[in-house]
Amino acid sequence: MRRVLTVRDLALGYSSEPLLEDLAFDVRRGEVFAILGGSGCGKSTLLRALVGLLQPLRGKVHLFGYGAPAQALEPPAFGVLFQSSALFGSLTLLDNVALPLRKWTRLPEDAVEAVAHSRLRIVGLGGFERHLPSEVSGGMKKRAGIARALALDPQLLFLDEPSAGLDPVTAAGLDELILTLRQSLGVTTVLVTHELASIYRVADTCIMLDRDAKGIIARGSPRDLRDRSSDARVQAFFLRRAPGGAT
Amino acid sequence: MRRPVTEPAFTIELQQHDGRRRAQLRGRVTLQDGASLWHDLRAILQDALEPTEIDLTGVTVLDGGGAALLLAASAQARQRGRTIAIVGATGEIARVLRLYDCPGVECLRGAPQRKSLLAQIGDGCHDLLRQVRDILDFIGELVVGIVAAVRRPRTVHLSELTMLMERAGANGLPITAVIHFLIGTILGLQGAVQLHRFGADAFLANLVGLSVVRELGPLMTAIVVAGRSGAAYAAELGTMQVGEEVDALRTLGQDPQRFLVFPRVLALAVTVPLLTAFADLVGCLGGMFIGMVELGIPPTAYLNQLRDAMTLSDVGTGLIKSAFFAALIGLVACQRGLQTRGGAQGVGASTTSAVVVVLFGLVALDAVFTMIFRLLGW
Repeated sequence: MRRVLTVRDLALGYSSEPLLEDLAFDVRRGEVFAILGGSGCGKSTLLRALVGLLQPLRGKVHLFGYGAPAQALEPPAFGVLFQSSALFGSLTLLDNVALPLRKWTRLPEDAVEAVAHSRLRIVGLGGFERHLPSEVSGGMKKRAGIARALALDPQLLFLDEPSAGLDPVTAAGLDELILTLRQSLGVTTVLVTHELASIYRVADTCIMLDRDAKGIIARGSPRDLRDRSSDARVQAFFLRRAPGGAT
Repeated sequence: MRRPVTEPAFTIELQQHDGRRRAQLRGRVTLQDGASLWHDLRAILQDALEPTEIDLTGVTVLDGGGAALLLAASAQARQRGRTIAIVGATGEIARVLRLYDCPGVECLRGAPQRKSLLAQIGDGCHDLLRQVRDILDFIGELVVGIVAAVRRPRTVHLSELTMLMERAGANGLPITAVIHFLIGTILGLQGAVQLHRFGADAFLANLVGLSVVRELGPLMTAIVVAGRSGAAYAAELGTMQVGEEVDALRTLGQDPQRFLVFPRVLALAVTVPLLTAFADLVGCLGGMFIGMVELGIPPTAYLNQLRDAMTLSDVGTGLIKSAFFAALIGLVACQRGLQTRGGAQGVGASTTSAVVVVLFGLVALDAVFTMIFRLLGW
C-alpha cells in the first residue's frame, strides 16, 4: 500500500525544549491510524504539526510525498476535525460545510448547496442545515465538523478526539462513519484519541506517546499492544490501570 | 502546488433507442470536475421527456462530491416529473452511491423562504419587548443581590475590587489626560478667537472651566470608560457566559450578580468620579496653556479668574453626574455580557450592543441631569 504520510526524525515543542522527539512513522493509504497516550503527552501537538499548524523544531512531515508545509497544497489535500469542532459560529451548518466548496471549486451555488447538504446528510445531520452551531449539541457539532472536513473529498482525514465527551451511541455512530468512509471512499484517517472502545473498533495501527519518554513507546495493532506488550505504561493504558494501582 | 486546470476526466454520451434515453457516463467522476458534471447532467436531464437511464458502467472512480452531484441532479429532474434511473454501478462505485443516496426530494432541501416585512416588524417588536423584560429582570436581580450583599457583606466577591479599580481607573489616566488636555486646548482656541473680538480675553477661564467641569469632563470621561472598561466587561462576562463559567458559579451557590456585577459596578462608581476630577483639572490646564500662548494671559491671572468663575456646585454637579454615568456603564455592560448567547459572534454582538446602548444612555442621562440642575438652580 502507498504511504500518504511519512514522518521522520520529528521533534516538536512550544519552546526550544522538545515535548516530543525522534518521532518516525508511516501512514498507509486506507489505514485508520490512531495516536494514543495519556493527557498531556503531546497527541494534539503532534496532530497540529502533521497538518502544518506547528513548525517542527527538527525533522520532516511528508504528505502525499510532498515535504513542503501542509498548507502549501492547494486545494487542501486533507480535512481536519478539531477537538472543539471549530465551526464558525456566525455561519449555519450548511454554510460551514459550503465554505471550502465556494473557495476551491467552480460549482454554481445550487450545486454547492447540494454537495454540502449531502455531506451533512451522511453524518446524520439532514434537516439541520440552517441551524447555527450554537443551536445544536456537542455531538452534532462534531459531526458537522467531520462534514466540513469531508467537503472537498480529501483522501486523508485528521480527527482530534472525535468521540471525546460524546455519549456511547453517538460515539459508536462516529466510529461507524470513519469505517464507512474508509470502505466506501478509501479515506485514510489519522485519529487522536484515548477512547479505548473507539480504538479497538476502528484503528488498524496505533502509536502510543508518553510524556516522560518524549516519544513513541509502542506501535502496532490495538489488540497486539494490549495482549503482547510488556511495557507497563502500555498495559496501564489498555487495562485502565492507575499508576501504582492494584491489578 | 496548485492542481492544473485540465479537461474533465469524464465523458457523457447520450444514446437514444426504443423510446428510452441512456446517458453513458465514463471515466473519473469527481468533485474536481464538479462544475462540468453539474452543467452536463442538468442539460441532459432537464429535457428528458422519455425515461432516462444514467449508466455508470464505464465509471472508474466516483468520489463523494461526484455522487452527491449525480444524485442531486437526478432528484431535481424527478421533482419535475422526469423518470430517471441510475444503473450499472458495481463494487466501490455502488458503495459510494449507497453512502450518498437519499430518498425522494431529500437531496434538494432548499433555502428557507424570506420573511415578509410584516413578520420582520413583528419579530423586531417581540425582540424589543424581550430585551426590555431582560433589562427589568436584571435590575430586579441586582436589587435583590444588593440587599443580600448589605445583609451579608462576606458573600460579596470583593477580592477583585482593587484590581478592577486599577484597570478602570489608574490604567485609564494617560488616555484621560491626553483627551481632556486636547479638549481644553480646543475649547480655548475656539473661545480665544471670539472673546478677543469683544476684548473679553479674561473670560477664557470661565468658558473653558465651566464647559469642562459641568459638561465635557464628566461626559468625555464616561465615554472613555465606556470604551475601555464597559466593552471589556461585556466581552469578559460574555465569554464567561458562553464558556458556562456563569452557570458554574450558579451551581456553586454563587450569585453572579454579587460575584461578578457588584464588584465591577462598585469599581466604576469609585473610580469614574476620581477620573472625572482629574479630567476637569487637566482640561482647565489645556485652556490655561492656550490662554498663555494665544492671548498672553499669565497663569496666575487665569487661575484667579477660574476660582472666581466656578463654584463648588459646578464641580459637584459634574461629579454627581459621573457617579450615575459609572453606574450606567457598569450595569449595561454587565447586563449585556450576561445576556450573551452563542459563541464568538454572540460575544462580539453583546460588546457592540453594550457600547452603543451606553453611549446613547450617557447622552440621554446627561440631558436629563442638565434639565434637573437647571430647575434646581445648581
